[in-house]
Amino acid sequence: MAATVETTASTKTASRCTLCPAGCQLQPTAAGPDAWRVEYPAAESAGLCPRGSTLGELLGHRRRILLPGQRVGGQLRQVGQAAAVKEIVNAAAGKGLTILLAGNLPSEQIAAVAETCRAWPEANLSIVIEPAEQQMLLGLEASGAKYLTDAELAQCDGFVIIGDAFAANPRCSRAILDCRKTNPRTPIVVIDSASGLASKFATHRLSPPAGMELQALAALVSAAGIETDESSDRFDRASAASAGAAIAGCKRLGVLLAAQYGRSNAWQSIGRLAGRLANARPGGVAPQTDSANTLVAVRLAAKYQTIPLAKALADTSTVRIALGCDVLGMLGLDDNDFFAAAAPLPNRTTDAARVVLPMAMACELGGTHMFAGEQACCVAPLLPGPLGVLSPAELVGELAKAAGAAVPAVPAGDSPLKRVDSADLKAAAPLAEASGLTLLLGRQTWHAGCGELTAWGSWQAAQELPELRLSPAEAQKIGVENLATVTVEVSSSQAGRSLQARVRLDPTLSPGIAVLPEACAAARALNPSEINGQAGTVTAVPVGVSVSH
Amino acid sequence: MPTTSTQPVVKRVLIDMDRCIECRSCAAACYYSHADMPAVDFARSGVAMLPVICRQCKSAPCVDACPAEAMVRDESGVARRLLFRCIGCGSCARACPFGVISTKLSGVSAWVKSPDRISGHQVAKCDLCADRTETDSEAVPRCVAACPSGALMFADEHEAEKLGVEVYGGRTSGQHPYKRR
Repeated sequence: MAATVETTASTKTASRCTLCPAGCQLQPTAAGPDAWRVEYPAAESAGLCPRGSTLGELLGHRRRILLPGQRVGGQLRQVGQAAAVKEIVNAAAGKGLTILLAGNLPSEQIAAVAETCRAWPEANLSIVIEPAEQQMLLGLEASGAKYLTDAELAQCDGFVIIGDAFAANPRCSRAILDCRKTNPRTPIVVIDSASGLASKFATHRLSPPAGMELQALAALVSAAGIETDESSDRFDRASAASAGAAIAGCKRLGVLLAAQYGRSNAWQSIGRLAGRLANARPGGVAPQTDSANTLVAVRLAAKYQTIPLAKALADTSTVRIALGCDVLGMLGLDDNDFFAAAAPLPNRTTDAARVVLPMAMACELGGTHMFAGEQACCVAPLLPGPLGVLSPAELVGELAKAAGAAVPAVPAGDSPLKRVDSADLKAAAPLAEASGLTLLLGRQTWHAGCGELTAWGSWQAAQELPELRLSPAEAQKIGVENLATVTVEVSSSQAGRSLQARVRLDPTLSPGIAVLPEACAAARALNPSEINGQAGTVTAVPVGVSVSH
Repeated sequence: MPTTSTQPVVKRVLIDMDRCIECRSCAAACYYSHADMPAVDFARSGVAMLPVICRQCKSAPCVDACPAEAMVRDESGVARRLLFRCIGCGSCARACPFGVISTKLSGVSAWVKSPDRISGHQVAKCDLCADRTETDSEAVPRCVAACPSGALMFADEHEAEKLGVEVYGGRTSGQHPYKRR
């Protein structure tokens, strides 16, 4: 992969935020003894969202995991690195080891771990990517659509936004707003059942019922005069007609996508159809993922033939170790037997694991990331990791050595990664029509993923209860007022799970829909993912909830 | 005694309401850069939620209201608080007609113990990131630099109009009822 080292005009090396494909510039600055913050470029129009702003503080966070620990009788006791590694290797002897590796790491780290696992017969590797995002990217890859850079996005004359792309990557809004400023008639079609930030700027807003994003997109594509075999029967086609007519005349269409947790089970079909739409109006797509390297992770997973996440989670015969990812928080799971977990800061998975190991943050690891438009870039570490804290590749290397396996050297210059072109399209089972209040999760600009890192930021932590967005009509029906503290309880098979939230009335939201933050692990736990090891799927679809004082 | 000016600062932080995506990047940038004393608040008006940032009033009620002369207009015309004069009485917060000096801004406490631990609490006040803008004429406050959508600009009203942004909501210019001197 082509690599270029980015430097600022001064001799200082600037790093880049890798929490979304925007790749905003970061400059670490001392904020006291062992305390850091990021400094903002002096110039206007640089941009850095709250997620990136938080990274500086997290480098020296007081809750940072710096030493390995072993849980004995529910209490975490400090142990040496060698003892922790030995414990894992002994547990895996005869059973095999399944490594669940975060997909938001530099390409070199993922490749090094994959090469080690390839040479270590007892180890299996699964690269952990948000299931919805992975499916969406597989659909986009199969469609053959071009990935747009921000500059190319600014040259489009019409936009279709699926999900809340502005919350996923606030900087992508600039290109669209620039286009709108130049030509106020620029069509901006937004398909978002949770009426997120992008909906506010829509010229045509399609608010499908929960779980019906694919049908809404199919109706839009049909209305734009493009053939599709996807059914749009369950969506009101009249509302898509004017939006379709608006984009029908576009000479270059930009399609932005943000796949969201618990929203739909058809992200692969959505990705493929969105790609076809972009191809038909010679434009491109701009997927807004939870990290810069999600697309690379999808391609590396295909290249190394890693095992699917569903299989890794369903197979309880091997010893599992999570590296740099909060699998339980991401999937809303309470319990899934993890023997060991390595992370920079505590999360749901480290809380459940028997052995806890420290790990460098992605921003402390230099390496190649792929930003918007497949732009590969070698990113300098924000700061080197704490002394003695290993990178994922080093940790897996230590485990392999302790198990007597060879640790192969990773070739320095990797060849460019190919598109995943043979993705089998898995037809999603139709969702049942929801009755009553349906829970959706919406993205926030100040959290990444399920908030496993950003939730430790002091600004984020100071925010009050999670916001529950309701339409005024729905709030009146329930009998709750704006800013009231309420309990949200799941009314289906997961009954008994509940969460306290603060009501925020949102007139743009359709009645029958309640929206909680996606980055809140407790909110995801209301709608845990269903794991099907045989089919290899991990899905979360909208669930019914009740709201009470 | 610091040099003071009677002329208000010309450049200030303006918000293009057509571009604000409610991402709160400005609030986070302010919080993380000013030792946990944020000076950016959010106001919700109907569907929209917009940042509320000090307007650098022509006749600043916060300066007039301060009994300890801790709130001054500095030599560059920026209304700012002198850290070691502030007695934490909250007069400035009560005087501010726009609610940008408060004990709580955007859900975060802006009412912190003074560094000397003697003079009590202090309330955050935007100084337009003087540590950057005083030394570099091209630099912009951190909230403006952090804004990913280009909604915030550091400009005078004429510059904003040249960019096609109509400036609404001026700043107080008359004598404020809190004026004491």
